[in-house]
Amino acid sequence: MSAALFAQPTSLEPLAVELTGITKRFPGVVANRDISLQVRKGTIHAIVGENGAGKSTLMKILYGVQAPDEGTIAINGAPVHLKSPTEAIRAGIGMVFQHFMLADNFTVLENVVLGAEKLYGIGDAARAQIRKISDDYGLRVEPDDLVADLGVGDRQRIEILKVLYRGAKILILDEPTAVLVPQEVTELFSNLRDLKAEGLTVIFISHKLDEVLSVADDITVIRRGTTVAAVDPKKVTARQLAELMVGSELPSPQTEESTVTDEVRLELRGVSLAGHGQAKVLDNIDLVIHAGEILGIAGVEGNGQAELVETVIGMRRPDAGQVLLEGSEITGAGVREIRQAGVGYIPEDRHRHGLLLEAPLWENMILGHQTEAPNVKGPLIDAKAAKADTEQVVTKFDVRTPSILVTAGSLSGGNQQKLIVGREMSHKPRVLIAAHPTRGVDVGAQAAIWDLIKAARREGMAVLLISADLEELVGLSDTIVVILRGKLSGQFDPDVVTREQLGAAMTGADQEDE
Amino acid sequence: MKVDFRRLGLGVAAPVLAIVVALVLTTLILLVAGDPVLAVWQVLFKVPLPRQIVAIVNEATVLYLSAVAVAIGFKMNLFNIGVDGQYRIASFAAAVFAGAHFLPGWLNIIVAILVSMLTGAVWALIAGVLKVTRGVSEVISTIMLNYIATYLVAFMLRGAAVKVEGSNATSTQILAEDSRVPGISISWLANTSNKVYGLVLLAILIGFLYWFVLAKTRFGFDLRATGQSESAAVASGVNVKRMIVTSMVLSGAAAGLIGMPLLFGQDYAYGDTVQAGLGFAGMSVALLGRNHPIGMAVSALLWGYLNQLSNGLQIGAGVSDRLVLIIQGIIVLSVVVAYEVVRRARQRLEQGRVARELAMQAAPATKEVAA
Amino acid sequence: MQKVIKTIIAAGAAAMMLTACSSGATPSATSAAPSASTSASSEAPKIKVGMAYDVGGRGDQSFNDSAAAGLDKAAKEFGVDIKESAATNGEAASAREERLNQLIDAGYTNIVAVGFAYAESVKKVAAANPDVKFAIVDDSSITADNVMNLTFAANQGSFLVGAAAALTSKTKHVGFVGGVETDLIKSFEAGFDAGVKAVDPSIKIDSKYLTQPPDFSGFGDVAKGKAAAEGMYQSGADVVYHAAGGSGGGVFTAAKAAGKWAIGVDSDQALTAPEDVRSVILTSMIKRVDVGVYTFIKSVHDGSFKGGTTLFDLKADGVGYSTTGGHVDAIKDKLEAFKADIISGKITVPEK
Repeated sequence: MSAALFAQPTSLEPLAVELTGITKRFPGVVANRDISLQVRKGTIHAIVGENGAGKSTLMKILYGVQAPDEGTIAINGAPVHLKSPTEAIRAGIGMVFQHFMLADNFTVLENVVLGAEKLYGIGDAARAQIRKISDDYGLRVEPDDLVADLGVGDRQRIEILKVLYRGAKILILDEPTAVLVPQEVTELFSNLRDLKAEGLTVIFISHKLDEVLSVADDITVIRRGTTVAAVDPKKVTARQLAELMVGSELPSPQTEESTVTDEVRLELRGVSLAGHGQAKVLDNIDLVIHAGEILGIAGVEGNGQAELVETVIGMRRPDAGQVLLEGSEITGAGVREIRQAGVGYIPEDRHRHGLLLEAPLWENMILGHQTEAPNVKGPLIDAKAAKADTEQVVTKFDVRTPSILVTAGSLSGGNQQKLIVGREMSHKPRVLIAAHPTRGVDVGAQAAIWDLIKAARREGMAVLLISADLEELVGLSDTIVVILRGKLSGQFDPDVVTREQLGAAMTGADQEDE
Repeated sequence: MKVDFRRLGLGVAAPVLAIVVALVLTTLILLVAGDPVLAVWQVLFKVPLPRQIVAIVNEATVLYLSAVAVAIGFKMNLFNIGVDGQYRIASFAAAVFAGAHFLPGWLNIIVAILVSMLTGAVWALIAGVLKVTRGVSEVISTIMLNYIATYLVAFMLRGAAVKVEGSNATSTQILAEDSRVPGISISWLANTSNKVYGLVLLAILIGFLYWFVLAKTRFGFDLRATGQSESAAVASGVNVKRMIVTSMVLSGAAAGLIGMPLLFGQDYAYGDTVQAGLGFAGMSVALLGRNHPIGMAVSALLWGYLNQLSNGLQIGAGVSDRLVLIIQGIIVLSVVVAYEVVRRARQRLEQGRVARELAMQAAPATKEVAA
Repeated sequence: MQKVIKTIIAAGAAAMMLTACSSGATPSATSAAPSASTSASSEAPKIKVGMAYDVGGRGDQSFNDSAAAGLDKAAKEFGVDIKESAATNGEAASAREERLNQLIDAGYTNIVAVGFAYAESVKKVAAANPDVKFAIVDDSSITADNVMNLTFAANQGSFLVGAAAALTSKTKHVGFVGGVETDLIKSFEAGFDAGVKAVDPSIKIDSKYLTQPPDFSGFGDVAKGKAAAEGMYQSGADVVYHAAGGSGGGVFTAAKAAGKWAIGVDSDQALTAPEDVRSVILTSMIKRVDVGVYTFIKSVHDGSFKGGTTLFDLKADGVGYSTTGGHVDAIKDKLEAFKADIISGKITVPEK
């Protein structure tokens, strides 16, 4: 891990992007420190680093959202000062965000021209231009489709097209594969190669090392706010790269031997939930989870996972079917009743469903357990006991915080998540619902959370695990079921299943032959 | 408790900032209007006379009750604009009931107060039910209910009115002596024969209850959680619909108390000269006091003090009554803005502090990177 | 707990600021104040008159202005030192009381309270200050030696403009716009109705009040006045009488747009309204609040002040109708006949 790892570019052509000594401070924290980055023209350049390493800040600086406190940016050899995204676009830089910014009820054309009406108007000229870009780069985008009808992969291509339409020569893609299934990832990479072939430069942010190694021409590694290495993907292994990222050995979820018992903890019988249209959001779901079992649900986002979780925890009432907790029916019961009966809940979106960001940690420990010891004495809140409990959980679950009186919002994502996991675990639930338990947390916290879930399983807890991270699902689950358009479309043994098999089940490709 | 000077400094910063901003803006406006700046500031900073102190406390009593009623809704992001209509219809009901003198003395007073709370609660309940069953925004429905209350009370007052010879004011039956709440004399403190409303004690009690329920009970926790994040509250098991209805009812019941000091301590009847707009003033007071039981008490006193200035500025400094309203508005706006500025500063500081303290823990690790 | 302490500290700091500043300043507001007084040639010590206006204050082109006119007239004649203060909307009863008290504190020992809302306050303050002379407009519920009650038979004046409306109307359809539905304004309506019916019982009368108490905005809401009058003109009325204070401006605008008649109130509005609408003002019901105020100050000036009710009716020329513009010249004889009948008692005008 030294300067030797910084491979110097050999080409004499000016670099597409060159960052030198970039430093960005926020009150109390240094988000970026002495960053240097050299991106060759016409290449795919990956920037890897764990969550919280400073990738997002770096990209915001490059896209003009934030100005660096120190350091210089040069585009095509010329120094620039980017004060806003508008200036970045003018300099030929375009950004495709992780969360798409598309209006559902608009057509592709309308979405693309929105805010760029001056370029080619809003009519046939714009339509022609979109078709041209689409053809040039193999994006297969049809200008008059309604965005609402399109899938995730299509939407991403529209985002890319939007950026190209505005004349970008350098594209930044922020974690573009996070929302895609394997087949879509393959397709995206072929698109990226097309872009490269046309002479465009792609900066690709990711923490998925396999993908990075397969598509990138150069890789820069960021750790703790600074660039620690620039490596040639042909010369490193995923393992080496991971160690550069983390600075230590990489953890991975490895389930120990099975602890599954035959005691049924949670059972769903024919659960259905009507949607807005004709299609059911959940369609006749049958599920059984035993004590000591982790049941993983795989699926492309938006196929009913969120609704399944919300139905089990009582936030939604199923239109048909039964939910049984340890044999007794909880169908249609309120969230509080279900939680009291012993269901713990790690929500998918911790900010929306798991925390009161402006409340102190100890109050957040009460959340979801307002009626349970040690938080209450009759109708009164027992602040003293709740605080003591919080202190314990903070220590036991390694929540890094200076005090339990700070607000939940001031913690990092990983520590917020550990607090939630600790909170749910400390009440010893019979069934734990873990929806994307490690989403957006750093590698260290991820490993800790995996360990906690495995420990819970050993103690005989039944876990319903929802995750978009196949590695996590395969590594933790005793059984994996795939959900597609509200139906369970397959059950797999994680020990033998391949990513391709799962991917096929998730997209329905395995059924197309029938 | 460890004293954190930075937090303490921020706590003091908001009011100081507000006062400075208000001073500057008001002075500018006075200069533009060509009014005597010095005279205005002399009036503003004059110590109130004893009888004015009584008036300020009395006005604050009523405003405080109104602020609490509003704050119950605010605490869970419900904008009960209807406090204004609720207190008027409730006061009217109480005045009619108490004026009929079915019950003797104190019993009459207590039952009338309960009647008032019930009326206010029912009036607010309408908006609550409309919201949870039909999804009607409480802002719209309470505004409409205010209108309905105005006309309904005016209509019923015609039937209930008792004519006083020679007076053009219309009001309900005047309460008998034994159905009035005696005022509290402060002659031991200051030289005035004017008395503070006896029901100031009710306001203090309500303030305490408000604090206790919100800060110390499970119900209060649920209510605050709902206000901070409805989605998180739902996921934690709060029945939000029931919370909406309950808090509207509580807010309405508290609104029913607003008119009680006026009814039993000053007007002894409900008439067309009853003090109007208290519900709206209560919203400002609650906003100013950040829905905090003591904060609202301070802002109610400030508001009462500002209202008191109206006469002084006109008579003492010769400023137009319109300008007085402008000055009051500036002071309130400054306070709100200052609080927001300080709140954000505090949030940033805390995030920074957490990051810094954690970075210090991780300091040994960072060295390795630099190598 | 921390939050509570924080707030206490904050409050304390604010309080300290206020008191600190106050101790530094010399409280001589009154001397620094610009004098609203009108200097006069009179050598004698000036009469000090404190005016406590109703909501709107001087400049409302209506009720308050009428009182101010009487004050100005007296000031011109006797040389009066004036201090004025107006009520604000939604103020506490104690604020009215305080207004009177502050005027007295500032040395203005002859107080005019404009409007019946002051009744309770005048009653209290007059009892506490027997040396101070009071006049209250539109109220006779107080009986005290130092209070002069100035009341007006607005129903009688309204009768005459009602008759004028009935005699002018071609559509046999007239309207009444009241500012706020109080007993006082209802007596305007009662008189107007009686006057209309006295001419022709078959005439249709539309009636509308802009707001209900305790919302007194109906006396100052031009838009509401306009909307109400427009409705009446559209449904066929061709004369609309307003007793709506400042909202009357809207009635005139509507009349002008519809090309129909309106009747003013309180003062001769054909002289005081904006010029472009004066032509539509058939007549105005004059309520001589100015005469009342002037009478009070004069009685103080010449030492003849006496407590008790003074009724300003048709007989005393305290109410009446205006003839500016000459629109009622043709029917003047008939109006004068009604007036004579009322004065003689042949016609009794109802109050409700």
